[in-house]
Amino acid sequence: MPRLVPSPLIAAVGIGAVAFATTLPAQDRQDDPDIEELQERVTDERVLFGVQVDGEVTDDLLKKGRLVAMGGAEAGGADMACISCHGAQGQGDGSGAFPRIAGQAGWYLYKQLMDYASEARPNEVMTDVARNLTEHEMEAVSVYYAAIDAPLIAPLGDVDAETLQWGGKLAAVGSSERGIPACANCHGPAGAGVPPTVPYLAGQHSSYTEYQLQLWADGARDNDAMNVMSAVAEKMTEDDMKAVSAYFARVRGEDAEAAEDGEVADSNEDD
Amino acid sequence: MSNPCYGRKRGYSRRAVLAQVGLGGVAATLGQLRGVRHAFAQDDGRPWYFLDDAEARWLAAACDTLIPEDEYPSASQAGVVDFIDFQLASDYGAGAGLYMDGPHQSGTPEQGYQFAFPPSDLFRNAIDALLQDDPPLTELDAEGRHEALRGLSESEDNLTDDIPAQAFFTELRTLTNQGYFADPIHLGNHDYAGWQMVGFPGAHAYYLSTVDDHNRHHPAPPMGVAHDRSGGSSLPRLIERGE
Amino acid sequence: MADYILPKTDVVIVGGGWTGLTTAYELAREGQRCVVLERGRDRHTATSFAGPEEHDELKYALHHAHMMELRKETLTFRNTRDQRALPMRRLGSFLPGSGLGGAGIHWNGQLWRPLPSDLEMRSHYADRYGADFIPDELSIQDWGVSYDELEPHLEFFERICGTAGTAGNLDGEPREGGNRHEGPRASGYPNPPMKQPIATTLFGEAAARLGMSPFPMPSANVTQAYENPYGAQLHPCTYCGFCERFGCGYHAKADPIICVYDRIKDHENFEIRCDSQVLRVEKASDGKTATGVTYLDKSGVEYFQPADIVCLNAYALWNVHLMLVSGLGEPYDPETRSGVVGRNYSYQTIAAVDVFLDDEIVTNPFMGAGALGVAVDDFNGDNFDHSDLGFLGGGYIACTQYHGRPISYQPVPEGTPAWGAEWKKAVRDNYLHHTGIVVHGSSAATPDNYLDLDPTWKDAYGRPLLRMTFDFPQNDRKMSDYVLQRAVEIAEEMDHVRSISTINRAAQDSRYSLVPYQTTHNAGGAVIGTDPRTSVVNRYGQMWDHHNVFVFGACLFPQNLGYNPTGPLMGLAYWTLHHLKSDYLSNPRPLMDA
Repeated sequence: MPRLVPSPLIAAVGIGAVAFATTLPAQDRQDDPDIEELQERVTDERVLFGVQVDGEVTDDLLKKGRLVAMGGAEAGGADMACISCHGAQGQGDGSGAFPRIAGQAGWYLYKQLMDYASEARPNEVMTDVARNLTEHEMEAVSVYYAAIDAPLIAPLGDVDAETLQWGGKLAAVGSSERGIPACANCHGPAGAGVPPTVPYLAGQHSSYTEYQLQLWADGARDNDAMNVMSAVAEKMTEDDMKAVSAYFARVRGEDAEAAEDGEVADSNEDD
Repeated sequence: MSNPCYGRKRGYSRRAVLAQVGLGGVAATLGQLRGVRHAFAQDDGRPWYFLDDAEARWLAAACDTLIPEDEYPSASQAGVVDFIDFQLASDYGAGAGLYMDGPHQSGTPEQGYQFAFPPSDLFRNAIDALLQDDPPLTELDAEGRHEALRGLSESEDNLTDDIPAQAFFTELRTLTNQGYFADPIHLGNHDYAGWQMVGFPGAHAYYLSTVDDHNRHHPAPPMGVAHDRSGGSSLPRLIERGE
Repeated sequence: MADYILPKTDVVIVGGGWTGLTTAYELAREGQRCVVLERGRDRHTATSFAGPEEHDELKYALHHAHMMELRKETLTFRNTRDQRALPMRRLGSFLPGSGLGGAGIHWNGQLWRPLPSDLEMRSHYADRYGADFIPDELSIQDWGVSYDELEPHLEFFERICGTAGTAGNLDGEPREGGNRHEGPRASGYPNPPMKQPIATTLFGEAAARLGMSPFPMPSANVTQAYENPYGAQLHPCTYCGFCERFGCGYHAKADPIICVYDRIKDHENFEIRCDSQVLRVEKASDGKTATGVTYLDKSGVEYFQPADIVCLNAYALWNVHLMLVSGLGEPYDPETRSGVVGRNYSYQTIAAVDVFLDDEIVTNPFMGAGALGVAVDDFNGDNFDHSDLGFLGGGYIACTQYHGRPISYQPVPEGTPAWGAEWKKAVRDNYLHHTGIVVHGSSAATPDNYLDLDPTWKDAYGRPLLRMTFDFPQNDRKMSDYVLQRAVEIAEEMDHVRSISTINRAAQDSRYSLVPYQTTHNAGGAVIGTDPRTSVVNRYGQMWDHHNVFVFGACLFPQNLGYNPTGPLMGLAYWTLHHLKSDYLSNPRPLMDA
């Protein structure tokens, strides 16, 4: 696990860290969606579904979430802002350590923070971060990232067609030979996740997904219900993990595909 | 229309419909049906697969009496006529699951379906007989339609030589119900009308962490087999035509 | 005559479901070359049943995509002998499967053991209540095999399935939280019980307050990662609510493909031919043995597959049909009450209580699993005093939550119209605030309920259809009514109950109907026993008349018990296989004297 380094941006907003050169994606304040836009998105229950917020999602909660994401937690969030690694838009990066969290199910994000704090999901960086957040801050920042809809980053590196095809097959129908159930069973056919508990895989950085599969297989990560993921990952070879991770990194939602095709008129707008 | 669940005018893509249906494993059937043209075809380029104009109107009137509009869409608003049309044109209508060898004779209620013909004929012949009613169902007001269907459901008479009124009514009610609640890949349950109404989250089902979380409703917006958040990209045809 | 005669094999197995694949597994590893003939298509758990495509209620639950095709094979039905039987043209009351894995693919996974007294039906009741207690209308009889003999085999199958539950009787020692009425078990369940939702929890609390002993329903929906004795790996159930009538793509519901087939499919002694419809069993000229089976492949080519041993592992009804069209055993004649094949066909009595709960109780019915539920067994079998009741048998009462699929799950209170605005509102108002209590009752055999061949209608292969003559005996109607009343008492005791209503498929004023779904638990017709005048096979599952024909499945049940049949019939299968392997193979002969 690479050590995290605070980004220059954090220093600029006065959190008080020292700036070093990093390979992190540029953090542009202009990426930060405004509260009104977010407020509109959180009316989609799917995004928030099951988040344990006290009362309604308000501007205040979103503002709070954004503040936490920027590193403005009461206890300082271990001197680290979410945006320094996951980006203001929650896009993460391809290093394997920083997953995309934009639009991830709110409850799932919240649970991961709780699990980091309790070390149910061990991670030397995130445990410190989570322990320096109050429960309310965890809720707020989960809601904030759940509500964000960030553009997908093009996957890194080339993957041969055979690997992608195998990954796609594992995703869609699993492997009868190795007793691997299809990812689609729980994560949906397009890997879009099933809120509140099942995260999306589509568009997730392949290095992250692959690394997590290894952690599940090794038993280093076991914070899901009844160890479902460990039982699956244990049956996967390294090649399987690589293939399925590369596949999902390249899966785009239906809307994105449709927009690219330019054939289907927008299905949500009045006209 | 007042309900945000339906009635949004939206674009139409034939390919999208085919893609959706394909996921349900019925693409092959649909493929064979391409090119079938009916009265509505010239209006909207979307032919009925089985029904004709008059039959579709009769079904809309009947289905909307069985499932009328309230805070949630009526049957036809939710695409039930499209659903029945597609069912009658495909395996169900052709009696694919049925044993159809003769001889045929009528039996006891306990012996079940004994018709010498498949469901597509049952619907066609029964509706054609009911279209002779004067005044026809379509011209009655809501109360009149309700009474007419109640009559049908209780009638001891036959609609034709070999179709008892109640047998047709039972089949009609079954299909209407299916069309309102089946996965939208089958063309009904438009915008997940039926699933929204009861609170059923759909085909994507993973409740290992929530099954024993007592008394908390998990109101996930429905998602069907085709993973379409809006529950189908094609508008029920009767709505599209402004009926 | 067949178009081709194939090389002889050691064992030919008719049917690739639970019993057929298990037979192949056990015998192939014993050095026997096994050929399994499956009428349906090849399919695989991981690749054929992956969600969410599998989660299409219309296609699988209502259009029966995993079930047998009636246009190829069906039966004719009548309630009584004075009626004309007519073809079952559409599936309804029961749903036999087709394809690799058979009905084991679309079962719910409710995995029970028989009670010790169930297996000694006639002698037990005669001993406890006197021989006169047994109504004359019933032809119930003992199984000829005891609970103690079956116990190791019942236990083994529970381990094959990774069964989840709480033991109630560990070696005679009662255990809190389990079924205190069950026979003694040598070991507990291999996996802990399922999580319980609110509705089944409320049911359990009410039953306990009434002095009954609620326990989690034994479940082949596995609750944690598990490896079975054959090396198959199962995953935890996700409570997806698509179990019965669906295959499980999660590897969570034990099925014959994951649990058995995958562990034997590459063995040199194992071969399976799908799309292979067995037409008849062929007999040797002396009539004492079978020589093999004749079957059709997909393209209509007819083959004769010679074999030393013929195993009948089709669904209960089609095993009986195959015997009748092949002339195996003497057909039953209800007139003279002689003959045995087709005799003692039985079914099951199903009743239910709909329980409507206060709005604050949110049941989330779509979070379900096939065997998710809490049961009481206090009114099953002879677990209660029948002295003054005028019937025998019983059933379990269970609050289950196995699906909330919205076409089929539309609970509305009594008095709601069947359609229209009021109905629509009732469906909406009650969907999340309802639960169901099922009474799953036994079915006693009578001389008038039987299977034979129909004189008029034929199947797609030109064979006469099976003819079923069946109605519920008075005994079962009384029993069903009595146990339903006990279920109502529990429902009334439940907290947060708004209203209840009941339905009884074996009600006094009704007849058994093929139309509404009840259970796929058809039983009998080729029953097991110790007397060749009243049984088709001896207590080892071996035909009296043809010693190299072994019969498996619920067709062996002399009458039906109040439990789901998979556990008992697999216990019998392992019992038969044990004797086949340890005794018959080395010295083929009748294992019992007639």
